[in-house]
Amino acid sequence: MKTELTISINAIDEDALAKRREMGDGMGALVCFSGVVRGREGDVSITAIEYEAHEEMARHQFGLIFDAIEQRWPVDSMRVVHRLGLVPVNEPSLWVEVTAPHRAEAFAACQFLIEEMKQKVPIWKKPLPA
Amino acid sequence: MIIAVQFWSYFADFAGCNKTEIEIENGTTLAKLHERVCEQFPKLAEAKNSTLKAVGVNYQDDHFVLCDGDEVSFFPPVQGG
Repeated sequence: MKTELTISINAIDEDALAKRREMGDGMGALVCFSGVVRGREGDVSITAIEYEAHEEMARHQFGLIFDAIEQRWPVDSMRVVHRLGLVPVNEPSLWVEVTAPHRAEAFAACQFLIEEMKQKVPIWKKPLPA
Repeated sequence: MIIAVQFWSYFADFAGCNKTEIEIENGTTLAKLHERVCEQFPKLAEAKNSTLKAVGVNYQDDHFVLCDGDEVSFFPPVQGG
């Protein structure tokens, strides 16, 4: 399985990521997910979320998740981008792309990666009230 | 031996610093170090039950025996995405 992980303070450029996409001939499914900063955290209006990571550990933990996915599903590639620093409302903080032969494994792998990330990858957020 | 300890997210605010060094005896477990940290930084004791612990880039449980040169991180539940 090909993997690409980007953890960066730069804005996520979804168009540029799409342009670099490489789909193998046997791949019939492409799942893309964007996690976007909402304007509310609970009952509080916010303007942005500030993300912080233990970056070395985050990269290692994402690697373990990739390994687990490779053992469970016939996924061809995964690309993951997580933004750090200040992410304004309506902008993506997370972008995930999965290519696989069929939709079932592509959706499952995408969902699994996000659920595992939310349990294990050391990234934290601090909402900034409006 | 000296163990490097790092605090992440709001645990750094609780501790008033993002890293420190703590001297421990051979055979000290992660649980024992956590107790020492909570004594030294009492606000962290309030979050003791929800604290996640890692040595280097891996999570470890309370029974993990620390070695010279280990870098230990204490942090709250993760919130990526």
